[in-house]
Amino acid sequence: MDPTTAMYVAQGLHGLAYGMLLFLVASGLTMVFGMMGILNIAHASFFMLAAYFSYQVLAFTGSFWLALLLAPVAAALVGVLCERFLLRRTHAFGHLGELILTVGISLVILEGVKVFWGTESLPIHVPPLLEGRLALGGLDYPIYRLFVIGLALVVLGVLAAVLYTTRLGMVVRAAVSDAGMVNALGINVPLLFMFVFGMGTWLAGVAGVAIAPILTVFPGLADQMGMDAFVVVVTGGLGSLWGAFLVSLILGELNSYGVQFVSQLAPVLMFLFMAIVLAIKPMGLFGERE
Amino acid sequence: MNLPRQALTLVVLASLLLFGVADAQAAQAKAAFDPDKMADMSDFDPNKPVIPTGDTIKIAVVASFSGPAAVVGQIYFISVQWAAHDINKRGGIMVDGKRKLVEVIKANHASQPAETKKVAERMVLQEKVNVLWGTDGSHLMKIINQVADKYKVIAQSASALSDELYDTTNFSRYSFMSSFSTEQIGRAIGFYYGKIRKKEKKFYILGQDYLFGHSLADGFKKGLKEYYPEATLLGEDYHPLFMKDFAPYLQKIKASGAEVIFTGDWIPDAENLLVQARQMGIKLPFANLFLDEPNMLHRVGVDGTTGLVHVSQYGAEGGAFKTPGQIKAYKAWNTLWKTKWGPPYNTRLYEHGTGNIGSYIQQTYWLLSVIERAGSTDPEKIIKVWENDSYQLLNGKVLTMRSCDHKAIQDLHVEEYVPPAKQRESFNIPPYFWYEGTSSVGPSVAIPARYVLPKMDKSLARCKDKSEAGE
Repeated sequence: MDPTTAMYVAQGLHGLAYGMLLFLVASGLTMVFGMMGILNIAHASFFMLAAYFSYQVLAFTGSFWLALLLAPVAAALVGVLCERFLLRRTHAFGHLGELILTVGISLVILEGVKVFWGTESLPIHVPPLLEGRLALGGLDYPIYRLFVIGLALVVLGVLAAVLYTTRLGMVVRAAVSDAGMVNALGINVPLLFMFVFGMGTWLAGVAGVAIAPILTVFPGLADQMGMDAFVVVVTGGLGSLWGAFLVSLILGELNSYGVQFVSQLAPVLMFLFMAIVLAIKPMGLFGERE
Repeated sequence: MNLPRQALTLVVLASLLLFGVADAQAAQAKAAFDPDKMADMSDFDPNKPVIPTGDTIKIAVVASFSGPAAVVGQIYFISVQWAAHDINKRGGIMVDGKRKLVEVIKANHASQPAETKKVAERMVLQEKVNVLWGTDGSHLMKIINQVADKYKVIAQSASALSDELYDTTNFSRYSFMSSFSTEQIGRAIGFYYGKIRKKEKKFYILGQDYLFGHSLADGFKKGLKEYYPEATLLGEDYHPLFMKDFAPYLQKIKASGAEVIFTGDWIPDAENLLVQARQMGIKLPFANLFLDEPNMLHRVGVDGTTGLVHVSQYGAEGGAFKTPGQIKAYKAWNTLWKTKWGPPYNTRLYEHGTGNIGSYIQQTYWLLSVIERAGSTDPEKIIKVWENDSYQLLNGKVLTMRSCDHKAIQDLHVEEYVPPAKQRESFNIPPYFWYEGTSSVGPSVAIPARYVLPKMDKSLARCKDKSEAGE
């Protein structure tokens, strides 16, 4: 592969890797905001919290893999507690209450990480197994980014399988569509919603751990990803996993090739794309619910 | 017997030479920091600061003390409080007929423009502060300067770097820029590569897409044009603040064939840029301003940080510790860091009271010296002393306040980062390295002030007939 082709291919892979990271964050949000209709401004804070948890697990055990296993679960537990004792009470009163409450939760998480871990950035390294680069026909690509692409695809596969091929997934979709009816059938809908919220925060947690070796883990980490995740969910269509996946990929590639060809415009391409999509399809690409 | 006598003669001659040089430098300055007069600082603890009350000289440190950038406020506070604690233990400063202690007040602007105006005004009107000391962000310093101008109180810009703060539109005679500024920084790097290093010729600019990033890049381009016309600028890109993925920019730079990346990015962008470049196998040196934060450097490690080129306003040629006073002042800080301070001040960010922290401390001493020599907290008397004033810092460097636009004229230093074993060139006392787990300052080259005079806006009426040296 000649250097120019290698550069374009590498830009494509960068776009794919970033898109997959975006999808990991947005997939959780699409479940919580898109499916359940909970306006969770604190979603990115759970993502950040998982990154800090992963630092702690790494400090105790030295194992990135254990961190990848435990930190998202810990973040999900915090999420479940928030849903059970805080969000459930405000959900009935609409988005305004959720907005205020989740902004509050995000501030508490922000101050919490500063109290426990300080204000400075924390180092999380790429695990030794995934260090280095893969040389393929003139292309020299970081292995860890390939791992992120693979991880996101696995998450997508598992999530799709659970939601669209299992009884649990069927019940979740039914409850999202008509909670009252599902409740009347004897299914504990609040428990189900708590489970879905936990899944959403777990996904944010997986993204937080995956991104920690690439991005700086510091108290502003949540701000960096939060807005992008909302753009993905809204443009993809509220509640649509496939929409979130497709839009994440498009935004990743727009960012990558945008920098290559129209550098100054690259940051606005994402919003331009969102505006065009919403102008044509106000419900987003694959919107399922209002 | 002859040999020791010859050795003794050499030592005496060397001492005379050394002190002669020091005296010559001190003679240039109207005042100087004297480490021998420093108080016993062993009781200093930033977590339990001794803050005097009553009739005091009040300095408001206007900065981020909450939110993601809270660490910046912590750095500023410990620096200003250190100088205040020292002066207070010496008995304070004689102003307006009596000795007054220095009171440092935290004023949290939370990185928000609206909050900056509110808190700065509260400091002036309610707390009756004498000085507004700031801040992280030129756009916020601009607001502080406006407040200073409106209420006629002194503002010290110790860390906001944009030249535009003191142009004809924004200049306030109540505000003084004691730090270096963007054009100086850019030109210093251009001078270093063109007149000193003379090696790499292909450059690429990658900066943050706002006033500061562009202003710094303009300075660098000016520096290359002036001092390195043979150099080629292969491209320049500006990214939004808090960029997540630098890979597309880095891929483009790699393909351009650049030999050096010039950047003024600050954390978290600086860290993400460096980490992601090294993960991608891009080992190009970064000529930078803020790639000096020790946590970030440790994350990348020795190999990834070797060859970084850093411009500093608090550097020193041929070793940071040349006099017993410099060693004493350094140890006073470092010993407390090792033995006394708790979180957050016990991390490696605070290990050395040098670099930016050293600069903030010394800039504060300059302010206090000006107030002392003015003999008053009256802003007009302070202005009169500070304009054209010069002050010698602990490291021997002299700052001169250009009177027409209130910008500091000073030598800058360009430092090359080297592995721990080679850091003794800079850290010339035991253990002979700054950090064991990362490359850090090694060779340091002074860029004389006359080559990097701060940008002067000639349309500012006060500067109309002045040379860049302020004469």
